[in-house]
Parts: sequence; C-alpha cells; structure tokens
Amino acid sequence: MNIYARRRATNFAILSLSLLATAAGLLVLFLILWSLLRHGVPALSLAFFSQSTPAPGNVGGMINAIYGSAVMTVVATLVGAPVGILTGTYLAEFSRGSHLAQVVRFINDILLSAPSIVVGLFVYEVMVVRMGHFSAWAGAASLTIIFVPVVVRTTENMLVLVPASLREAAVALGAPRWKVVVMVVYRAAVQGVLTGVILAVARVAGESAPLLFTALNNQFWSTDMNAPMANLPVVIFQFALSPYADWQLLAWGGALLITLTILGLNIFARLMASWSSFSK
Amino acid sequence: MEARSHGPAALTAVGLAPHAMRRQRLGDTLFRGLTQSFAIGVLLLLGAVIAALAAGSVTAFQKFGLGFLVSETWNPVKEVFGALPAIYGTVVTSLIAMLLAVPVAFGIAVFLTELCPRALRRPIGVLVELLAAIPSVIYGVWGLFVMAPVLQTTLQPALIDTLGNVPIVGALFSGAPYGLGILTAGLILAVMVLPFVAAVTRDVFMTVPAMLRESAYGMGATTAEVVRAIVIPHSRIGIVGGVMLGLGRALGETMAVTFVIGNNHHITASLLAPGTTISATLANEFTEAVSDTYTSSLIALGLILFVITFIVLGAANFLLWRLSAKDGA
Amino acid sequence: MTYEIQPIETSASPRPRLIQMPAVEPPKPTVAQAKEAADQAQAKVEIKDLRFYYKAYEALKGINLTLHDKRVTAFIGPSGCGKSTLLRVLNRIYELYPDQRATGEVLVDGQDILDPRQDLNLLRARIGMVFQKPTPFPMSIYDNVAFGVRLYERLGPRRLDERVEEALRRAALWDEVKDKLRESGLSLSGGQQQRLCIARAVAVKPEILLLDEPASALDPISTQRIEELIADLKSDYCIVIVTHNMQQAARSSDYTAFMYLGQMIEFDTTETIFTHPKERQTEDYITGRFG
Repeated sequence: MNIYARRRATNFAILSLSLLATAAGLLVLFLILWSLLRHGVPALSLAFFSQSTPAPGNVGGMINAIYGSAVMTVVATLVGAPVGILTGTYLAEFSRGSHLAQVVRFINDILLSAPSIVVGLFVYEVMVVRMGHFSAWAGAASLTIIFVPVVVRTTENMLVLVPASLREAAVALGAPRWKVVVMVVYRAAVQGVLTGVILAVARVAGESAPLLFTALNNQFWSTDMNAPMANLPVVIFQFALSPYADWQLLAWGGALLITLTILGLNIFARLMASWSSFSK
Repeated sequence: MEARSHGPAALTAVGLAPHAMRRQRLGDTLFRGLTQSFAIGVLLLLGAVIAALAAGSVTAFQKFGLGFLVSETWNPVKEVFGALPAIYGTVVTSLIAMLLAVPVAFGIAVFLTELCPRALRRPIGVLVELLAAIPSVIYGVWGLFVMAPVLQTTLQPALIDTLGNVPIVGALFSGAPYGLGILTAGLILAVMVLPFVAAVTRDVFMTVPAMLRESAYGMGATTAEVVRAIVIPHSRIGIVGGVMLGLGRALGETMAVTFVIGNNHHITASLLAPGTTISATLANEFTEAVSDTYTSSLIALGLILFVITFIVLGAANFLLWRLSAKDGA
Repeated sequence: MTYEIQPIETSASPRPRLIQMPAVEPPKPTVAQAKEAADQAQAKVEIKDLRFYYKAYEALKGINLTLHDKRVTAFIGPSGCGKSTLLRVLNRIYELYPDQRATGEVLVDGQDILDPRQDLNLLRARIGMVFQKPTPFPMSIYDNVAFGVRLYERLGPRRLDERVEEALRRAALWDEVKDKLRESGLSLSGGQQQRLCIARAVAVKPEILLLDEPASALDPISTQRIEELIADLKSDYCIVIVTHNMQQAARSSDYTAFMYLGQMIEFDTTETIFTHPKERQTEDYITGRFG
C-alpha cells in the first residue's frame, strides 16, 4: 500500500469512529426517550393529574408533586432571576476588569458545576436545623442557589455581546450608566437574558438531590410553604426504588412528564436565543 | 428648562436641570451598588457553604481525627465511621466515566467540527446538549430499569468470562454479575458527562483559526491529519479543561449513581461489585441519620466532596479561562 | 436592515484612491472671505497641550487647537493618527474604558472639561456625538429620538412630540418616517439609521456636534444627504467631523486639521490646507503621495 492510500485509510477509519461516536450519543438519547415513552405514557391518566400520591395498592396521581415542583421552581425563579441578572450585570457592565469581578466570575463558574447535593446539605444546616423542620421554603432556597449561577453566566455572556458602540451612543447623549444598562443594553440583550433564565428553570425543575433533605417529600396535598412538600424528582426517586409496581408506574409517568417539560424548555430557550439580534 | 445657558457655569451643572443631574447620579450610585452587592453575595455564598459544612463536620473530625479520611469502617450501629469506601467509589466511578466518555466525546467533537454537513451541525449539536439537560433522576430510573438488567445478562457475564480470567486485571472483573455496582454507575456517569465534555471540546475546536485549518488542508492533509496536527495541539489546554469540567460533574453526581451503585460500604476489588459514593451515601442515609455523630460524619463526607470538586473545577476553569484570555488578546 | 453596509473608505486603506483628489471641489469662498469668516467665528473649544494614553502608549502627543462655533472643523489623517481619539476626548467618552486617560486642558467656553469634577453626563448632554456605524437603540424611532430629551427635561407629550418632529426634520428624515414613528429604529435602512442617530443627537440641543466618520459605512447617496445635513446644521452648532475621505473634508468643512502619529501637523482653513499646505506631510497626504 503506498503512503497516500494508507493516509486515506487512516482518515477513513478515524472519521468513521467519530461518526460512530456521534451515533452512539444520539442513540442513548433516543433510547432514554423511548423507554420514557413506553413506560411513562400508560401512567398518564386523569388520576395522574388530579390525585395526590397514593399508598401502595391504591389509585392515585402526582398532582401534589407537580404542584410542589411548580411552586418551588417559581419561587426559585422569582428570587434567583433578579439576583443572577444583577450579578451578571455587575460583571459585564460595572466591574471594569476589577479583581472582585475576576474572583466572582471564577467562584460562579465553580458553583455552576458544584455538586447539588452539597447545596442541599448547606441549606439543611442553615435553614432546616434552625427552623427545626423540613419545609418547602428550604427546598426553594436550595433551588435558588442552583438557579443563580446559571443566570449569572448567561447574563454576562449576553450583555457582553451587545456592541460597545450602542453603549457609547447612549453615554454620548448624557445618559448615566444605569440608564444605559436598563434602557439600552437590557433591551438589546433581552432574548439572550431570558434564554438564560429559561435554561435555569429547566435546570432546577429536575433537581432532586438538593431537595432530599430540604423540602423532603409529602404524601399529601399541601400548600404550606413551612411544611415538607412533595416534588416530582424526589417522588420519582422514592417510587422508582420502591418494590410496588403501581408506584414504579407513577414514577415512570413523572419521569416522562418532567423530561418532556425540561427538553421543551431547552428547545424553546434555544429558539429564543436564535431570535436574539446579537447572537453572532 | 429647555433653553440652556451658555456661560461657563453650565459645565458645572448649574445651568441645566440640577435636580435631574443629581437624580441621575444617585441612580448610578444605587444601581452600581446594588449589582455589586449581589456579586459580593455570590462570594459570601461560597464562604457560607464551606463554613456551614466545616461547622457541621466538626463533631466527626473531633471523634475520628484525620483517620476519618482513610478508615474503611462504616458502622451506623456502633457509630464508627470512615470515609474511604465512599471516596474510593466516587473516584473510581468518575474515572471509569471519564475513560469511557472522553474518547466518545472527542469523536463527537471531531464529527461536529470537521465532518458534519453545515446544515446538520446545529441540530445534532443541540441533540447532544439535550442529553445534558435530562435530569439526573431520570438517568437513575433508566439505568436501574433498562440498562442494569441488560448489563447483567450481556456485558457483565462476558467480562467475567474473558477479562475475569486474565491474571491481575481479572480481580477487577471477578464475582457474580449483579447488574448494579461500580461499573454500572461508571457507565451511567459516562453517558451523563459525555455531552459536557463533547460541548466544551467542540467549542474549543471552534477556536482554532480557520486560516490555520485551511492552510493545512491546502497542503493536502486529510481531515484526520488536520485534527491531529493542527486542531488538537492548538486546543490542548482547552481539551484538558473540558475533561476536568466533566470530571468535576461526575464526582458530584448524585441521583443517577444512587440508583445503580448498590450502596455497599466495603471496598471490593471487583468493578462489578456494589459500592457507594459520597453523594449516594448522603442521598441514601442523611434523612435516616439520627445521632449527631452519624449526621456529622455525613456532613464531613459532603465537605470532602466539595473540596475535591472545588479543586477539580477550579483547575478546569483556570485552564479554560486562560484559553479564552489568550483567545481574546 | 434592508441592505448590506459597504464601507466606502475602510480604515485599512486611506491612501490609494485619493490621487486625483482636489479635482472635484464645490465653489469655495476666496481665501480672503474665509479669513474674514474665521475672524468672525467665536472660539468654542480651546485644546491646550492635550496628551492621551492607552495604558502607557501615548496616542496624542501635545495637541493644541481651537475649534470655532458655528463652523465645521474636519480632522484628517491616516489610520491610527489619533483623529478619532481626539474626538473622543472632547466628550470624555474614553472614560468608559479603564486603561485610557488624558492630560492637558480642553476648554469649552473657558471651562476645563478634563477637570475631574466635571460632571460627565452633563458634559455629554451638551456635546452630541454620531458614530461611524449607525447605532439605533433597540426601541421605536420615536423613543430613539426622545431618549436623550427625556433624560434631562420633563416635557409634556405635545412638547415632546414637537421636539421629536423638529429633530427628525433637521435630520431630513421626517418625511420618510412620520407615518411609522412607532416602528423599531432597526427597521430603517443604513442611511436612514444614521440620520436617525443625528436626529437623536440634535434633539437634546447640544452646543457641539462630534461626527466620527459618519458616512464611512454608507452608500454614496446617503453620504451626500449626510453632507447636506452637516452644511445645514452648521448654522447652529460647533461641528467637528473625523473623516478618511478627502473630498468630504474639502466639501463640508471650514477648517481642517491634519494629524499624523498623534501630532497635529497642520491646522488652517480648509481652503488653505487643500490649496497651499505649509507642511510637506500635509501636501503628500492630501495628494495621495503619502508614504
């Protein structure tokens, strides 16, 4: 075999492997989705959306867990989004390459990937122990802590994409920096910033580790934020590991519901980002 | 207010709407202060996490000393605890995950940057990223009900029959095929970190200047040669950063591992045997821990996990940050 | 945006196409008339020993210059000569960036604006600026023009409407946008966007107007309209324009400053600069022999 033929053969082999790797990755995605659909669709009945989690052997649904997940995610969003956006704004607009900004950026990137179960431990120590009981507030607090770094990162990235000329133009009209940011920069980056918020919602909606010992779980319908509250991920965890077939079925249903929601949010967020005026 | 005085005084804010001026300046100070205080809040948060975990683990370290880190005993009944099995399981599952995920992620990155038709790049890239969006607990359910039984009947017996008989290495693949265990946890983790490593590697590959790439192609290099001679050397630091980012994720991953690790506080040579990780121990036992020593030992495990991931993620971010700084200059 | 912006003069190539330059010149006043006009014009800005630094690099090396009210002054020179930097000192917009600083004096109506106590927002409200590329804000045409006015004045809706219309008329854009004031400023063509930016700048009734290569990203027809606009605005403002385009400088300015490597090489009436430059470098540059 001459050199050229050998080079071409190597090339073909390597490229085939890379194609195979991609196919494997996509295959796993489709396998997971297929399993979820196959086992989860039979669970989605009227009762699933209207009744609370049952005792084994009884008919029941997930409405208390759906409500709990929704409420805690909403609270995390209402607190986490402003905090994250303002922090990201500081990093992008006001920090001028200061040491503080570099440290905050570094720490934020670590918090972004830090183990979420540790966040649960932290909230357990500072809230649950102090309050004396598990609560939905504590669950929402740990979700907020996970929420913020995601928004900080995307907000900073999106604000940095806004052309400097736009800031200069506003400043040249005599606008103070805060008005430049609020009236011009935010407006220019609104889709990007919202994309980050949606991605953060998708991230925390599926988190279970930090809720295990903060919100805990609650077999019954509860709207009391000062009491333990059911939530989809933890219910899925407990029901899937239980020996009861009907609980396992509910777990599959919950898994399908939450996965579709989260993948939907992710796709929506990406569409939104592609509408943004400054995405490359 | 409309007419402006043109005297020298105008420049020191006397001539024009002094109230408006003062209000604007106050707004500037307030807004800046507000954003800055939240930024400082992020720092304080990290400090608070470390402080709370450290405070919580004092009891355990007082009782067991640094021996806690190397003790293999985990006995809730006698209240004797050691972190070694959990640390061992955490590290080994993560290493298996990286060993399996990195080559595949690499292949995906090469495919997406060099091979994939332009129109398909984004859709396929998004699909890979969606893999990262699936919640951990879902991977757990899937791993437990779908993957583990398949492994138990196919891969694991095959490994036992082949590698299990090889000297030395055989110890890693001895015993019965449980389905659950260290290897299964490593596999699930591999699937979970795959999209992270692939995405970072792809992004790093993209930073290779098109001109460099084109000049190599211009000399008649094949795609594989361009990747090996131009793309990889150029993005070495970034690849290492991406791999470590994935490692940081794998170390701290909780739910999926908890489903399939088997929860066994003994260190066994075989990768097919059940084990535990720090995060799985926490998820399984924390709400059941009644005594102070037990709770404190678990929090100490959390602190160890946080310190390990902090170092790994810190190094990863440092490498990636250096890369982007170089890129921007 | 409805069409691609094609830079007419890219900053990378100031030289090649200027060779037949002074051929097309509109009727200019005689030297005597220009001198007379200059004497009548009041000094608005006096720049004394201005130095400017990017980190340690000295980008302006002791500039001395007087800008006259109700006249157009053009800054010309090759890329990197400091002409845009000089413009950006006049409203201290460089302060947005941490590594940039200026020393010396810039007196506007006798008051040193480089004084640290100078209120920057007020300074910039008095000195309008239009940039190389159009910078419409992501809001409606109306809100774009009203943006600066609302910052410092509390006008009733009707007074504000009048101000917006007046500014758009001055920028020769009113007839094109009067029926779509609520549409996004981004929906306009490149030339319209640039006139919108001029309207936005004049709406706050500044005293000085700084134009940083305002036509370099526009097609020839839009460029012509911008130049007509400059001639019209001259009666009310002290205008400073940075340009790469020799014809543009010759056509639209009363005074021209030629800069090179951070220094002011020659400053005189535009007539003199383009017909009897005193410095060899000036002559080389305007005739395209620069090297």
